[in-house]
Formats: sequence, C-alpha cells, structure tokens
Amino acid sequence: MTFVFRNHTVEPFLGYDGMTYSGYDDISEVPQDVDRYIWFYQVPVNADSTRLSQEIASYSDKLDYVLSQADANKPFIVFSLAVLMPLRITGDDGSVNEAVAAFNSHIRQLATAHRQVQWIDFEEFTARYSCDELINWKFYLMSQTLLSPKLARDFAAWWQHVEVELSMQRAKKCLVLDLDNTLWGGVLGEDGVDGITLGGDYPGKAYSWWQQALLHLSHNGVILAICSKNNESDVDEAWNNNPAMVLKREHFSAMRINWNDKASNIKEMADELNIGLDSMVFIDDNPAERELVKQLLPQVEVPDFPDKPYQLIPFFKSLVERYFRIYQVTDEDRAKTQQYRANALRRAEQSLFADLDAYLYSLEICLDITEADEHRVPRIAQMTQKTNQFNLTTRRYTATDVQQHIDDGWRVFCVNVSDRFGDSGITGAVFVAPIDDVTVNIDSLLLSCRILGKGIEDAFVKTVLNLLRLDGIRKVTAAYLPTAKNGQTAQFYDRLGMECVAVDDDGSKHYVLELNQVYEIKNCYNIRVL
Amino acid sequence: MNLDERILEIAREVFDMTEVSLELSQRNCDRWDSLRHLTFASEIEEAFDIELEPEEIAEMTDMHRVIAMVQSKL
Repeated sequence: MTFVFRNHTVEPFLGYDGMTYSGYDDISEVPQDVDRYIWFYQVPVNADSTRLSQEIASYSDKLDYVLSQADANKPFIVFSLAVLMPLRITGDDGSVNEAVAAFNSHIRQLATAHRQVQWIDFEEFTARYSCDELINWKFYLMSQTLLSPKLARDFAAWWQHVEVELSMQRAKKCLVLDLDNTLWGGVLGEDGVDGITLGGDYPGKAYSWWQQALLHLSHNGVILAICSKNNESDVDEAWNNNPAMVLKREHFSAMRINWNDKASNIKEMADELNIGLDSMVFIDDNPAERELVKQLLPQVEVPDFPDKPYQLIPFFKSLVERYFRIYQVTDEDRAKTQQYRANALRRAEQSLFADLDAYLYSLEICLDITEADEHRVPRIAQMTQKTNQFNLTTRRYTATDVQQHIDDGWRVFCVNVSDRFGDSGITGAVFVAPIDDVTVNIDSLLLSCRILGKGIEDAFVKTVLNLLRLDGIRKVTAAYLPTAKNGQTAQFYDRLGMECVAVDDDGSKHYVLELNQVYEIKNCYNIRVL
Repeated sequence: MNLDERILEIAREVFDMTEVSLELSQRNCDRWDSLRHLTFASEIEEAFDIELEPEEIAEMTDMHRVIAMVQSKL
C-alpha cells in the first residue's frame, strides 16, 4: 500500500487501487505499515502572495517532520512544486516563486541525504500545458482538485513512465553520434576545418549549444561515441584547430571514423565498451543511415533527427526525457565515462603479452572485498536492477530490499575493482542467505560487464567461499536461472566445481557444494578483505 | 454505439467495474463516490464535447438522469 500526503485532491491522478490518502494538508498520522510514501503537494490558489509564500515555506518543515516519523526503510517519493497559476500583480515581490524554488531545492537535498528519498520533477508534466489547461476552476471549486481531471489520462501515462524510470534509474548508457551535419553543420571533407558551421551566430550557435549539452550528459555518466564516415585526419584537424569545437577526442569513449557500414561499427563498439546494443542510442542526420541501423540492429534506439538547427534544443530535451533521465546519480555513474575509456586502453594493450596471465599480472588488479554497509547498499541495489549479462539469478532489489536482507542476517559481499588504469568502483556482489549453522544459499551473484574478461568473477567468488569456510560454513547451495541475457553464466557454477543436483524444465539449474577445501586463487590479483 | 452504450462504457471505466446497467445509481454503487462522480462528469464532458454546470453535475445521481442530461445538451 502506498500512503500519499497531499493538500489537494489527487486521487483521479494517482488512482485508487493500493493507495491511501492523508487528509488535506494533514500530517498528524504517519502510518508505518505501508510499502512506500508519496508526498504530492501542490501550490494552492491564493491571490495573497505574502501569505501564500509563508504557507509554501511551511511545507518544508512539514515534510521534514513526516520524514522523521516515516519508516526509513520504505521508499519516499517527493513531487517538486510547480506554480500552476502565476499571478503577476503590480508590485508583486516574487516571493511565491522564491518559496517554490526553496522547497524544490530542499527536496533535492533530502534526496541526497536520505537514501530512501527520491524526488519527481512535477514541472516536467505541468510545463506541457497552459494555465487554463492545467486548472479547471469548476472542478477545483467543487472538489479541491487543482489539476484538471481532464489531464488524468495524460498524467497516468507520464506517471507510469516515471515509475519505470525510478525503478530502472536509467535506461540507456551510450549515445553514438554522427559528425557532419549532426555535431556541426556542413561536411568537413568539403567545407574544410574552418568552413563547417559551428560557433558564432545562428546557426553555428545551435550546434555549439548542442555540443555543450552533450558534454554535460557525459559528465553525468552517459558514454559518448562516434560513428561517422569521414577521414580521421580531417576530424583530428578539426578537433585540434577549430576553436569553436567543444567536444573533442578525449570526450569520446569509442570511435569509428571510417567508411564501413554503421551497423557493423556500432556492433564493434558495443563489444569494445562491453555494453549491450539495447543500451545504445544512435544519432544521425542521414535518414538512410538511421534506417540501416534500425533494420540491422533493432535493439539500438534510433530517434529522428531534427531538420532545423534551432530544433536541437527541444531535441536534446526529448533525448534526456526518453533515454537519459537520472533521478539519483552515484559517484560511480560520474566516473563511468572515465572507466569505459580506460577499458578501451586496456584492450589495446592486450596483444602485447605472451599469455593472459602475464597480461592480468601487468594490470595490477586490486580486489577490495567487503560486506555491504549503508553507504554501499544503494550502489548494490542499482547493480541488481541494471546487471543482465553476468547475473546468475537476475533478482531485482531496491535499496530497501537489500537493507532488509542484511537486517535479516544475510551477508552481502561486494567487490571494488581497480587497476593501474583506474578505479571501476563497486562492480560485483554476492548475496549469501543463511540456511542453518553450516549451510548457506547464494541468492544472487552478479558482476558488472565492465570488469569481465579478467577472471575477476572467479577470484571474487572463490575468496568469498574461503571466507565462508573460515566462518564454519560447510555446505553451499546455489542456482542458475536462465534469462535471455545471462547465457554466459550457465556453466559458471559447474566450472567452480559445484555439483548440479537438479535441472528444471525451464533450464534452471540447482547446485550443491560441499565446502571442504580452500580455493586457490591466481596470484595475478591483489586481494584485500576489508 | 448509441448514446446509452457510450455513457455506460464511460461509467464502467470510471467506476472500474466489469459490468454496468442502466439501473446503476449513486445509491446502489459504493464506488460512485463524490470524487469519481466528478471524474465521471469530466469524462462525459470530454466524450460529448459539452459543458456541464456544477448544479447539473450535482443532479446526475443515476444513469437515467445522466442520459437525460446529456441528451438535453446535444
């Protein structure tokens, strides 16, 4: 059951099933027996801006109080405030807008400070409508419904989208970009380094804005890549010599600047970056190229590209809303672009060594293995939501679920992987549920695909098994549950020497391991148990 | 679909019921509460492109009255 704190009628929008609503602006009761909380206040209609801004200021205090009383293990979703009816009376001091901005800034801080709090940008919905569309005064005065009931269907569609985003955090990881007439106007090979349209007045200004915006996306963890038919030397010259260029070589984690077909290029880059095709978005001004990629790589998202440079701004906005919206950015996200680029460097070095072990040894890989604490729980939950390929059971957990398991006595080990090229952060986890004094079950085992291919999964799991054995565990059960994406892990437990005791009709495999030996781990890893 | 059927269909959706008849009224249906009553009125306004006054909405307490009200507006 979801409990909703509200100051207006919101039932037509959030629905009736599974929802319980507070009284209007009533915070006297904060129930504990709920699955999650929603705070959905709206700016009241009041012509007296002084009183209105004071009232809005009180919402922050009320919210703080409710949060202090609410069960901290339950998700708490807070809608931002949006001014639905701006009144600009002569002499207005702007205090209402300031109060709204202060509340919205407050909830962003709450979302940072409390792991259970997530905030929803309500203006993303209201900005689509005029004041007259947003409010139906008849229904408002009859029923305290501030938002027009005629928007209920639109709201439901938007809300459904937001809820998916909340659980997924983010759908796409990588933006693959064409160059000519996409990142700048004109064709580099024909117009020359200084002849392309970029910087200065319109239309060059539009492309500058677009490049700046893409740079900002990359700072927020979205991987940028290039797939373009150009001479690489021309592009290098433009990067080095065109002063208006914002995005340069170092901002791209992978590049294919050649005359091969773009579908093959994109597929190669997906392998190189170790991400799925279904996490890529391809941007190209040429409809023929878009069609080719759509036909050959249906998993890749291919949005239409705007005809006019001035449409790049709304186009960027729609990209963010459709593919890259971020409600909770972790430090790992921010560092990710760096890591993917370091991965590409590592692969370039791979051929220099006689055998894989020599290569692994040279990487100076460090595995820091530790049991999850409250600081690591959000990242671990995020991994269970996003990891598809190396995931033995693909069980999705929220941060609340993970914390609950730990409180119930589960041991959740995670691994932080670094090497001389950089720190990949927390990239693996294993959930160990106790059965009895000497028996445990591995509920979940997952590793980010970023670190695969270096035997880290083996070293991590063996270290954990050795730790369990030291603690008196003698028997481990585990399962492999097949999905469309985790085929590469089907034999993982077999390779580890576990005994497969049952196979279900759907291909699920159940394992038992008598823990009577110490696992040897290759000496090419520097393992620390913290 | 005739007018009766269209209104019944709207009622079925708003009140989230598998089946509704012309005998449905605010008295015999506990889901027909004051909030859903307004959603119902709003949906009818949209479907028939009409405007209902608050006083008229207040009178639409059973299906026969709803249908009569809509007919008078068309």
